[in-house]
Amino acid sequence: MRLFLLALQLDQAARATVPTVTVGLLILPGLLPLGAPWLSETMPHFAMIAVFYWTLYRPDLLPPAAVFLIGLLFDILAGHPTGLAALTLLAVHVVVQNQRQAFLLRSFPIVWGGFALIAAAAFLGMWLMTCLLALRLVMAPAAVLQFGATVLCFPVLAWGLVRVHRQVIR
Amino acid sequence: MALRPVTFTRVVQPVRSLWQRFSVASMGVAAFALMLLGNADNVIVERMRVGVTDILTPVLLVTAKPAAMVSSGVEWLTRLHDLQGQVDHLREENRILRQWWHRAVTLEQENETLRRLSRFVPPPSPASISARAITATGGPFVRSMLVSAGRSHGVEPGQVAMSGDGALSGVVVAAGVRHARVLLVTDLNSQIPVTVHGTDGTSYPGILSGDNSRTPVMRFLPHGAHVSTGDRVVTSGLGGVLPAGLPVGQVTSITGSEVRVRPLAHWSGPDHVRLLRYDFQKVPGVVP
Repeated sequence: MRLFLLALQLDQAARATVPTVTVGLLILPGLLPLGAPWLSETMPHFAMIAVFYWTLYRPDLLPPAAVFLIGLLFDILAGHPTGLAALTLLAVHVVVQNQRQAFLLRSFPIVWGGFALIAAAAFLGMWLMTCLLALRLVMAPAAVLQFGATVLCFPVLAWGLVRVHRQVIR
Repeated sequence: MALRPVTFTRVVQPVRSLWQRFSVASMGVAAFALMLLGNADNVIVERMRVGVTDILTPVLLVTAKPAAMVSSGVEWLTRLHDLQGQVDHLREENRILRQWWHRAVTLEQENETLRRLSRFVPPPSPASISARAITATGGPFVRSMLVSAGRSHGVEPGQVAMSGDGALSGVVVAAGVRHARVLLVTDLNSQIPVTVHGTDGTSYPGILSGDNSRTPVMRFLPHGAHVSTGDRVVTSGLGGVLPAGLPVGQVTSITGSEVRVRPLAHWSGPDHVRLLRYDFQKVPGVVP
């Protein structure tokens, strides 16, 4: 009986880590050497979508410290200015957490629109910070392209995350 | 009056509530501070970056394998499109290259004779280390890659990374034990002293400066420089960091005073790179 309880607890603990693990895994596509230049230029910011989704639907399972550390890891491995993605993902996390009531129980297009707004602010922030740190103007079209790809990918990835949410975390 | 027993909860509780209140704010401040420190090339931040990347290099080596498969699949699909056009293009290129081959053989013989006559001592050829790209970031915020060779293989910051087709890819900016980071010529922070060779025999010095787009910009060209599209861009060797004469790219567009260069190196992908180690002390005529 005791062993069964322990197994149950372990099972629950493992399920609770799923949001953090998915966010962590979703930084990988942005790092992999994928050949064609257009592919890495338009690679969507999948981790941002995952942070948005989990903060909206299971904020209890995605602590801000995890968001910060995954962002920091992304920065280090990608060669970004250290802290750029960490700050952006943390900001997305805080904004979504404060605006949860506005999104919960709403139809999907409204959630999608909300994500587009938050992502636009996040990309604008990243672009401004990159320009400020380098004290030069970075090409903006590439950032707009990546933002567009991220917003377009939202429904597909959100669908996948809903599956994970229902099947694994329950 | 009896003292209340000091329990773990009593000590931890205030710290925990304080952390809960300020944790997000303090992490935000930490991220911002790291950004500023990292920008100022702080040693501790740099060591942290290199250390963390070194630990994760084995993981990235594993994940780079399926990426290579995806990449070759994408390449295959892109090639499939317009096969006839590519065949025609290759035929034309082959015809031109054959003419060049005859010329190259003649020039090589002539060069050999002249070298013998003038008792020329050639500079030592550089030692090279081949490595695989394990990450490549080509987004709007950074253009760099991690390669699978580090200090344990003889890689040091400052070494030149050449693509498989023999063009300059970038420069090693950081090296860990098992990995090195190559800053690509297209990155915002890349500034490379180059020479633009015109078809009419003229050449102008300048700095090739990346801006996170596919085509870096030529800066500090001399006033009145006559540059046209198709001109070759090679490293000038000025500053002593890079050797002279490495092929970099071709001028592709001139709009007003803005001259843009398309790098020859196929910079993104699971390509292997060659890291060249030049020992400047041994090369005659080069000031380190």
